[in-house]
Amino acid sequence: MATPIDSQRSDFSRRKLLQAGGLGAAASLVPKVARSEGLPAGRGPAMRRQRQALPEKGLPATPAAGIVALNRMGFGPRPGDIAAFTALGANDPDRVAAYVAQQLDPDSIVDTELDNRLAAAGYESIGISQDPDTYRATLWDWYINDNAPSGNTSSSLPRDELTRATFVRAMYGNKQLVEVMTDFWLNHFNVNINHSSFVRTMYAHMDLVIRLEVMGNFRTMLEAVAGSTAMLYYLDNYTSSNAGPNENFSRELFELHTLGAENYLGVIQQNQVPLDDDGRPIAYVDADVFEATRCFTGWSFSYGVSGDGDTGLFYYRPEWHDRFQKNVLGVFIPQDQAALQDGRDVLDALASHPGTGRHIARKLCRRLIGDDPPQNVIDAAAAVFTAQWQAPDQLQQVYETILLSAEFRTTWGEKIKRPFEIAVSAMRAAGADFTLRMDDSDTSSFLSRYDDTGQELFTWPSPDGFPDVRGAWQSMTPRVAAWRLCNWLIDFDDDADNYYVDVLGQTPGTVRSSNELADFWIQRILYRPMDPADRNEIVQFMAQGINPDFDLNFDDGDTRDRLRAMVGLLLMSPDFLWR
Amino acid sequence: MSSSRRGFITGCSAAVAAYAGTQFNTLAFGDTNGANEDILVSIFLRGGLDGLNLVMPIGGSDRGFYEAARPDIGIPLTGANAALPLNAQLGFHPATNTWPNGSGTPPATLYDLYQDNKLSLVVAAGMNVDNRSHFDSMGYMELGTPGTLSTSTGWLTRHLQTASNLPPEILLPALAVGNLQQASLRGATDAVNMTNPDSFSLNVGPFEWRAAQRVAMRNLYSAESWLHESGSLTLDAIDLIELNSGDGYTPANGALYPGGSFGNHLQTVARMIKTDIGLRVATVDFGGWDTHNGQGNEGGGYYSTHVQELARGLAAFYTDLNGSGAMNYTSRLTVVVQSEFGRRLGENADNGTDHGHGNVMMVMSGNATGGVHGTWPGLAPEQLFDNADLEVTTDYRRVLSEVLIRRMGNNQLRSIFPGYQGYTPLGVVEGVDLPPDDGETIFSDGFETGDLSRWT
Repeated sequence: MATPIDSQRSDFSRRKLLQAGGLGAAASLVPKVARSEGLPAGRGPAMRRQRQALPEKGLPATPAAGIVALNRMGFGPRPGDIAAFTALGANDPDRVAAYVAQQLDPDSIVDTELDNRLAAAGYESIGISQDPDTYRATLWDWYINDNAPSGNTSSSLPRDELTRATFVRAMYGNKQLVEVMTDFWLNHFNVNINHSSFVRTMYAHMDLVIRLEVMGNFRTMLEAVAGSTAMLYYLDNYTSSNAGPNENFSRELFELHTLGAENYLGVIQQNQVPLDDDGRPIAYVDADVFEATRCFTGWSFSYGVSGDGDTGLFYYRPEWHDRFQKNVLGVFIPQDQAALQDGRDVLDALASHPGTGRHIARKLCRRLIGDDPPQNVIDAAAAVFTAQWQAPDQLQQVYETILLSAEFRTTWGEKIKRPFEIAVSAMRAAGADFTLRMDDSDTSSFLSRYDDTGQELFTWPSPDGFPDVRGAWQSMTPRVAAWRLCNWLIDFDDDADNYYVDVLGQTPGTVRSSNELADFWIQRILYRPMDPADRNEIVQFMAQGINPDFDLNFDDGDTRDRLRAMVGLLLMSPDFLWR
Repeated sequence: MSSSRRGFITGCSAAVAAYAGTQFNTLAFGDTNGANEDILVSIFLRGGLDGLNLVMPIGGSDRGFYEAARPDIGIPLTGANAALPLNAQLGFHPATNTWPNGSGTPPATLYDLYQDNKLSLVVAAGMNVDNRSHFDSMGYMELGTPGTLSTSTGWLTRHLQTASNLPPEILLPALAVGNLQQASLRGATDAVNMTNPDSFSLNVGPFEWRAAQRVAMRNLYSAESWLHESGSLTLDAIDLIELNSGDGYTPANGALYPGGSFGNHLQTVARMIKTDIGLRVATVDFGGWDTHNGQGNEGGGYYSTHVQELARGLAAFYTDLNGSGAMNYTSRLTVVVQSEFGRRLGENADNGTDHGHGNVMMVMSGNATGGVHGTWPGLAPEQLFDNADLEVTTDYRRVLSEVLIRRMGNNQLRSIFPGYQGYTPLGVVEGVDLPPDDGETIFSDGFETGDLSRWT
């Protein structure tokens, strides 16, 4: 299990308790030690500089909207992206609106380079079919029943190919928002890909069902995920039966997938929960989890028992289903409903509950705006989420509400990139030419360094997904590993000694003095000027005492190395991390 | 070492330079004028340890309830997987007494440490908060504020902030081992978070420019935002760790750590303790305890293997630090092992267990009193929490408070565990008692009753 580092979660029950008790001043009751207080003076790493830790100081100004949009709706700009963004309109709001419209309509986006790279990579298990059941039956047949045409039947193969394909899509795909939101939903419905060989194989199916609905409807995605082989196995519902209910899935369905812990009242009776204006319980209790567990009994998949065919497909086991009446979130579920109907009633009750809208809107705003997103944007997104819960383009409407808010384009610096975003945006900005492949030692080398950052794709161990607050990623392990990765990337070459990031080759021949080199690469990596003192640092690094207006001699290997190191420095700089 | 050394000389700040100038004089920061020198290692078993299969009834009527509730996964009394007696009533999982294959003279097992009174067990410990959520429960425990998750600091952070008996300068007060810093150290900007000291370095990139990069990095991170500050502290930590790593690590005293990240992470802690740069608090995680399915029957299977890794890791860690003379660290060491909640008494149809309530805590120390502590609440149906789970009879904060007071010499319970009152020592470790500063009532606990007035 994971450490929850979600400091932003509202503490529903606590707050209510204190209000009712007339105690007020809830926050003051728990001693909050301001960040600036830290340890008593003199203690701690003794080399700490003298300074006041004022969190507001040193925060960057909000850059042009293109930088905001491309870093939040995607994995940062590639060369040419900012110019294309600027051409979208006469002013920033217009440009953002046009870019959002484009990204919300992914079918209209041409992806030639990505398609070519994916084809060249030749992944065996990716893109076999866009039909989810065809895809999962094939994955099962090839890697569980060992009939893969290549003869490589390892269950790790689909995992390893999906990891590679996910990097390539984020690095070279133009449907950037699809990639960002797919990552969001995969973490929202987190399954640890290394849970078991079944999950290693079938995770790619879950990736597909999320991609198919990423611009669509939450309720549809929710059922597709609940019925996915990976989720059924990871959270044990596949064996949950009338005789032996297993509540693992149902608990996380309420706590993580829909209502969220802020709408959990603990171990009290259902009839003690207050009702909202529409007569539905304002929150859930343990009994709702137990009752929902009964509703999902029999939701399983075919793995070769009781004549189920051994296909890996969703498989309903009616003899395992608890046929009697239930009550979930105030919804009466009569006995002997049609197959799957009990579970579908639960999913309907959850997807339509305003608490789910609020929970998910907050998470989306936290992803797309900042750690402590403005309440008005959350409220607006939640209202759309709930009002449109049955609309086929519900999620598109919710994203649009957030992305077109003024707050989206005018806030900056509350959040930093996570390691996946650092790695991908570094390769995009630096113009890396690197298609991750199977059986390629350079790919393995890259991934082993990337995995040190603590964000190895799809491997967060518990069902809550990688944290999405800066506090977690301020930890030193990911910081050091990401620095190492960035500095290694500019030094990374293939067997023929060609650098994957061709720094010198991308530098125009007219750019040869330290001043010019610094300015060119600052613009290339950051797309905006640096603070003058920081720029000077970069210039002096490049110049090493030589007059910064003098052209440098790139016949000298040391100078070429220094230029690469200068780009590495920019990738390791704080300015590269803000989002 | 040469490359990092070079980076260090040019890039580091004065205090590490002064430290390096001591020629690794191990007394420089490890032994100062009567300051408290104890080391607290907090191990969190993530997912909800099935405490009823770690410490289970072996006699009395509760044995009957236990066997009836766990016909498949229960730990037997006979055979190769028989429970190991802790006392007349309770037994220990048999995997706590195994040795790695092929080892020569077997080092102490965890069960040996129990018999040697280096391990105290607290039964039916936990939180009086009615919540079976992993994430809420872990947050409550690690923040030290059951019932609220908005606390900005972890309990170990507040311990370090309030301790008045620490030396004025400590290079490495706290170490959070793992990919991310644990919530118990939330807000501790001076904690170092790492997995392995050997990769906690900037020894990558074009070799001849690393030192100059290091200087530039210092300057680029010298502004005062939270990001600059945390980057700067990270650079400080790299300077420090590079001086104390690079050559790998060989455990002492024949200690044999289990393979895997838990054993590796314990070795990281042991290694940093032995560098004598002042480590006082460390956190280590060990996941994989959410055993809803296929725990293993009759004392074997997945859970047994997992307990074995836990027990071997703990025993190896103790052995490694249990040298003589200057290499004896166990007299300063206290290890606390806890999990967010226990699991249900009854096994489910998948031979697993669902989320429960009360659980076992373990305290391993050179100053442990040994034995079983706390009140066993019983397993009769009417004795269970919510008719299903082991009741909580000992607040987990009582155990931690005792370690803080008796070992760390810090009685500031009002700050560390706001709202926790009525502390008395349970007697899990030796040490000097201090009157707890547990003053005002803040709140007793989150939402322990069915009282609904608070929502209306």
